[in-house]
Amino acid sequence: MSEAEHTRVVTVARELDLVPGDRLHCLELIDCVDSGRRHVVGPLGLKIGRTAPADIVLLDSEVSRAHCMVTLNGDELAVSDLGSTNGTYVNGVRVEGSVPLPVGAVLQIGKRSLQHEYRTRTEITESDELDRELQKASAYIHALLPPPSREGPVRCDWIHVPCARLGGDAFGYGQLGEDLFVAYLIDVAGHGASAAMLAVAVMSQLRQRTLPDTDMRSPAEVLTTLNRLYQMEDQADLYFTMWYSVYHARYRRLRYASAGHHPALLVPPDRSQAIPVGNRNVIIGAMPGVKFKEETVDVPPGSSIYVFSDGVFEIVDKSGEQWSLADFERLVLEPPVADMGETQRLFHGVREAAVPGPLEDDFSLVVAQFD
Amino acid sequence: MDMQFTDVGGVTKAVLGGRLDSFSVGEVETRFVANIVPKEQPAVVDLSDVSFIASLGIRMLIGTARALQRSNARFAMFGANDAVMEIIETTSLTEIIPVVGTEAEALAVVTA
Repeated sequence: MSEAEHTRVVTVARELDLVPGDRLHCLELIDCVDSGRRHVVGPLGLKIGRTAPADIVLLDSEVSRAHCMVTLNGDELAVSDLGSTNGTYVNGVRVEGSVPLPVGAVLQIGKRSLQHEYRTRTEITESDELDRELQKASAYIHALLPPPSREGPVRCDWIHVPCARLGGDAFGYGQLGEDLFVAYLIDVAGHGASAAMLAVAVMSQLRQRTLPDTDMRSPAEVLTTLNRLYQMEDQADLYFTMWYSVYHARYRRLRYASAGHHPALLVPPDRSQAIPVGNRNVIIGAMPGVKFKEETVDVPPGSSIYVFSDGVFEIVDKSGEQWSLADFERLVLEPPVADMGETQRLFHGVREAAVPGPLEDDFSLVVAQFD
Repeated sequence: MDMQFTDVGGVTKAVLGGRLDSFSVGEVETRFVANIVPKEQPAVVDLSDVSFIASLGIRMLIGTARALQRSNARFAMFGANDAVMEIIETTSLTEIIPVVGTEAEALAVVTA
């Protein structure tokens, strides 16, 4: 995430002289970048914009310098747009004049979203403690993800932006043996702590290669074993989709299998097409006793493969249309952008296309480039 | 998300409408399951007016089908448009829940 997308807090909170139990009107960032950061709305209100002297500075190109004003009228909040270029939205409806901002409503400004919370100091303290715990959990999950690899026959980069504090996506890649390179992506249905815990459990087994009686070089065997180990009834009704592959560098051949997961996209160096690389198997955990199938594809020199979660393309665009995989394919085939990595290009492309506010699902994308 | 339930000769018929996305699943899942599973009778779901199904929606449908299965009752869906059918096929949901074109076909599947 670039620095320009971060929030700079000029006024985090106006300290008010409150007795215990008094409630505070807060605006809490709920998007992926600074999720949980809270701003207290005092008697003078809060001005939101891209530059100081706004009280909340959102460094986002879609935010105007002086974008909107949130005021405290009696015991209720109201918001008015200050003539911004891209508008201010409350629960998806563009603000005209001054409109109420009820408790629980989402204020959307550019790519950023803030929710109106009405909390006691005790609740804020408890929420802050929970946020700190979630941040630690999020940091742990990030620590399990592999670093970008810039050497060898397959070079990988990735971006992982959970839509909540904890996501349900996980992925990994690395050497599996001489000339063999493994890559996979897991997408647990939903997000939050339970989805993240299942994703971590599966990822840990794959990292340690501890699947019982399983040849890790065989995608079909790996998925069959995972399906045996992670049936929904035993996992609090959670299931996951998955894409798993093993690349043999000497033969330039990729073995792969999907479990309820959309295909990865193989793109030749001339970017003339995006070849779907996936097959049909059931979701992991949804049906016991299934034998999974795998397929192979030859990898032309200089190709790239894009492996991603459904949150990458299942968005609603600014015209209200639901995207499909074909829309993301078109974005993938667009030319590279100078001084911007491929994963960042695609993340920004999707964010630009999507309706304002946080993405609905986790955004996980791995791009592997072959020699 | 709109949701209606009727009884068609001993078969629960659910009609869904709108987006079955992460947000709406949270709102409708309890009611959906409560109107189908405790009856322990076959059920069909009309997807004609559903425009999108997210992974949590798939989970709701699979969970309901598997719960009914424990009561030896069948579950089928019908009427999915092309976009929803693409999602269903990508997830191989048809391996778990029959998905057919019409209500008559769905009723025939669950009462066979």
